[in-house]
Amino acid sequence: MEMTVLLFGREADVAGRSSVALRIENAQPTCRDVREALGAAEPSLLPLLCRGRLAVNHEFVADDRVLTPDDEVALIGMVSGG
Amino acid sequence: MSAQVAIIDGPLLETAGAWSVAEAGAIVTFAGVVRPTEDGRPLLALDYEAYEPMATKTLQRIAAKHMDRFGLLGMSVEHSRGRVAVGACSFRLRVAARHRKEALDAMDTFIDELKRDAPIWKRPVFADATSTAETSS
Repeated sequence: MEMTVLLFGREADVAGRSSVALRIENAQPTCRDVREALGAAEPSLLPLLCRGRLAVNHEFVADDRVLTPDDEVALIGMVSGG
Repeated sequence: MSAQVAIIDGPLLETAGAWSVAEAGAIVTFAGVVRPTEDGRPLLALDYEAYEPMATKTLQRIAAKHMDRFGLLGMSVEHSRGRVAVGACSFRLRVAARHRKEALDAMDTFIDELKRDAPIWKRPVFADATSTAETSS
């Protein structure tokens, strides 16, 4: 499955871009698969992936969440609002 | 009254007039302003980035939870997006309750949850450099 993961804040700065396009062999990938693929596609994110949370369709989700092609996926690192 | 949430471009301006909420015995306002330094370096401004609509949805969820948990009468949340100069307001939280304690307690825990979950980031714009770096403070 092909998908795009949105990046913000420090993660976007480190990767030098605001999104990463992924191609995952699994037809029904989980967020755990996305983490692995993201680290392979953009190794600069590896130190940040362990503490980053994935959001799907604007909600934080667990790593066993199964994704569909229409899902909007974002990596949310340490936030700093307020 | 339900909670009101707004992400606003640029600094938050002074509100006109008092916030009136029926039955309220306590109305507490917190205003977050941009500090003049970051790690000892002089700042010009902070650049705020918000992931929308998740930022608004998250603030609405946190606000609704606090309205229910503390029995609040009203809540208003405003957060800046984009550049906010030193000294200007970038975050304003208003809480209305029947009594002081629940208003103050709700304000404290709301800000804790915002800082943990709301997808909003700030980057300092330093006075002594053109480069910026994302900050987590």
